[in-house]
Amino acid sequence: METTPAIRLRGVTKRFPGTTEDAVSGLDLDVDEGSIVVLIGPSGCGKTTTLRMINRLIEPTSGRIEIQGEDVAERPVTELRRDIGYVIQQVGLFPHRTIEANIATVPRTLGWDKTRIRARVEDLVEVVGIDHEMLSRYPDELSGGQQQRVGVARALAADPPVLLMDEPFGAVDPIVRGRLQDELLELQARVHKTIVLVTHDLDEAIKIADKIVLLNVGGVVEQYASPDELLREPASDFVESFVGDDRSMRRLTLATVGDLPYEQGPVVPIDTPPPDARAVLADQRSEWLGVTDGEAFLGWVQGSEVEDGVRLDDLHRFLPAAQVEPSSTLRNAMEVIMNSRTSVAVINDDGRFCGVVTLERIRAGLEGDLSAAAEPVG
Amino acid sequence: MAAATWVPPAVHWLAQAAVPRDITLGEWFTDPATWTGGSGILDSLADTLVLVIAVIVVSVLLAVPTAALLAHLRKAELGSAWVVNIGRAIPTFAIAGLLVPVSLRAGYGFEPWPIFLALILLTVPPMYLSTYTAVKQVDPAAVNAARAMGFTEREVLLTVELPLALTVIFTGVRVASVQVVATEPIRAFLGGDGLGRYVRDGIGQNNPTLVLGGTILIAILAGITAVTFVAIEWLAKPPGVRRLSGRRSDRTMAVRKQMVGT
Amino acid sequence: MFLATRAANPLLRWSYFVEQWDRIAEAIFQHVQLTLLAVGFGFVISAGLAFAGMRYRWTVTPITLFAAFLYTIPSVAFFGVLVAYFGLGLVTALIPLTAFTILILVTNILDGFSAVPAAVREAADGMGLTPTQRLFTVEVPIAVPYIINGLRIATVTTVGLVTVAAIVGYGGLGGLILDGLRRAFWTPLTIGASLSILLALLFDLLFFALGAWLTPWARRRQKS
Repeated sequence: METTPAIRLRGVTKRFPGTTEDAVSGLDLDVDEGSIVVLIGPSGCGKTTTLRMINRLIEPTSGRIEIQGEDVAERPVTELRRDIGYVIQQVGLFPHRTIEANIATVPRTLGWDKTRIRARVEDLVEVVGIDHEMLSRYPDELSGGQQQRVGVARALAADPPVLLMDEPFGAVDPIVRGRLQDELLELQARVHKTIVLVTHDLDEAIKIADKIVLLNVGGVVEQYASPDELLREPASDFVESFVGDDRSMRRLTLATVGDLPYEQGPVVPIDTPPPDARAVLADQRSEWLGVTDGEAFLGWVQGSEVEDGVRLDDLHRFLPAAQVEPSSTLRNAMEVIMNSRTSVAVINDDGRFCGVVTLERIRAGLEGDLSAAAEPVG
Repeated sequence: MAAATWVPPAVHWLAQAAVPRDITLGEWFTDPATWTGGSGILDSLADTLVLVIAVIVVSVLLAVPTAALLAHLRKAELGSAWVVNIGRAIPTFAIAGLLVPVSLRAGYGFEPWPIFLALILLTVPPMYLSTYTAVKQVDPAAVNAARAMGFTEREVLLTVELPLALTVIFTGVRVASVQVVATEPIRAFLGGDGLGRYVRDGIGQNNPTLVLGGTILIAILAGITAVTFVAIEWLAKPPGVRRLSGRRSDRTMAVRKQMVGT
Repeated sequence: MFLATRAANPLLRWSYFVEQWDRIAEAIFQHVQLTLLAVGFGFVISAGLAFAGMRYRWTVTPITLFAAFLYTIPSVAFFGVLVAYFGLGLVTALIPLTAFTILILVTNILDGFSAVPAAVREAADGMGLTPTQRLFTVEVPIAVPYIINGLRIATVTTVGLVTVAAIVGYGGLGGLILDGLRRAFWTPLTIGASLSILLALLFDLLFFALGAWLTPWARRRQKS
């Protein structure tokens, strides 16, 4: 049985008065519950307009929008909006109210009692990562990143099932932005909201989306797919040119080293007899031989120095410069490999040797579907 | 005239030639005697103009250079705000009135010091404020560029800051000047004459025609003052600045609001 | 010939002050009353005009021009014309006084509401606040400092103009000033003038304090 999508758009059209073209034309979209859907596209594609039609800040000219099966047009608009969290780029915190009062706005309007509100606010500041003592401060005493976190807290205050975000991280610097994106993903892992987010930053979309809606001018859906699928199989020339020439590189950020199948590589225990060691070298066609002692990786020895009669332990070892962790993205791994003399990176999980990564292995990994990969990190 | 200055107002009023109460406005204006003669319009106009021009000139000389210099040096901002506030708060009529006995005691008579000083107090704060704000808000990029090119501080002020601030300064001077013309008529109630005398006499004699005539004269003068200033502003600006003033920046609007709301 | 000895006509004869206290108190009362009435009516009218200006954007310029025109009418002329045709009285004095407050108040009220950042309005709407809720819980508080500033300027200006209103017989402390001038008797003049100056400064201080009290967030900003 099909589950009702959390948000459903059918034939949604918007034409602004005085214009000749539709800003959004006959848009159909299903957003699954608990997923993060990112709307992205060039200017004029109607992504922000679409977002704002969901909470009726803009009324559609025609079409139907449903949230959890209910037509949004049927509900009184202010009631609807109290059930939807809304976060915008400039945040819009009320400058004349403390942080605590800002966050408590919707619960207060809904008539929650004070204790419940207080508890909820305390909860939220923890969840979004704001220092408790900020609660009694005023918005302009906070930095941009902190204000944005408060904005998210405020949106979540009444625990709405749906969260709408309009370029929420656009106004902060790249470092803070990256952190906020990570925090959003952690947050989502805890609260499982249905999130629709608008951005113009493709990297952001790829990083956080469960699915991306790539819109063309006029609200035309060019592709609606997971980030990996969008990059792997662009549905049209438009999509292909939008995602750019480096889509393979971008895809590499979607999977980690740990997702690849285990490969031992040209690595043997230190007490291996030289003939066996040479056999491994030949088999792997490698100039370098890695040696381990139990779980620890000791280093690389030059294949040419492996001789019968000479213990591997006595050979000069080079320490591995190219090392990655299981949680490193394939992109990181590739970077590391590029910078090393070998084309192999050692996977080091807290001192334990976990195999190797080669360029070939990475390339092979791209052939698969990376959507099913674990949560991408950084 | 010298003797008249220390004759108390009551006697002064009685000495006026009474205007018949039932003539119409048109008749009053077209009667030549109205214009010439002891209490004629021309004389009153001259009185008013002399005072007004003196006040404007002195106020400009006091307010503009000081404000420009302090703004350039970025000093005394709080002090300025305070001064402007006090000046704005004090009722002109009251301070002028207070100065009358002082002036009489000192032998200067009813005129011109009380009204003159009171009007200066009225006019200097807004001129000061608009000049200060104007100079302070000149595009810092232009100022820094000038400094970087080796201009002395004096050159920066005179050749960069002042020309760019000129539009707003002129607006401030204009608004303040129109205010002087509008406030000057209270002089007639302080033992003086000027165009306000007709309103004074008209009220005293219960003569609406006279009051209306005086009102029209005062209003016309205020209008002419405003227009004259606009013309001077236009002509006196360097061509480069004239081009700029077509576009009203947010800063200009903000300063204008400050002045009018002042 | 009028020569007054310093003793007979001091700047301030204290006995007069005490004897005439009733009259002085009445003048103070009338002055305050006129000021508050003028600013009160002016505020109501200005608030109405400001709302019209916010609702119908195109009216802002005509309203501002009209208010500016009212403001530049010389006070003496305005009072004079009204008294000539309507006689002495409270209303005659009140009309120009009210008219002079309008420019100041309308400008400041409009400024106040335009100081509300668009993002704040949008966030308020997005959160499901009704337009009325948004107005009173978000926009008005943010606009308050500007409104208070406008009230401050308007009130102080009006105190000064009320002194001039004495020429139409309703001038509170201005009446004392004028009386003193007419009779060349300095004591009422000094009393009237000083008290009106004090009154103006007092109102100024009052509104300044009120503004500071109502805007804790601005104070914080200055501290940090």
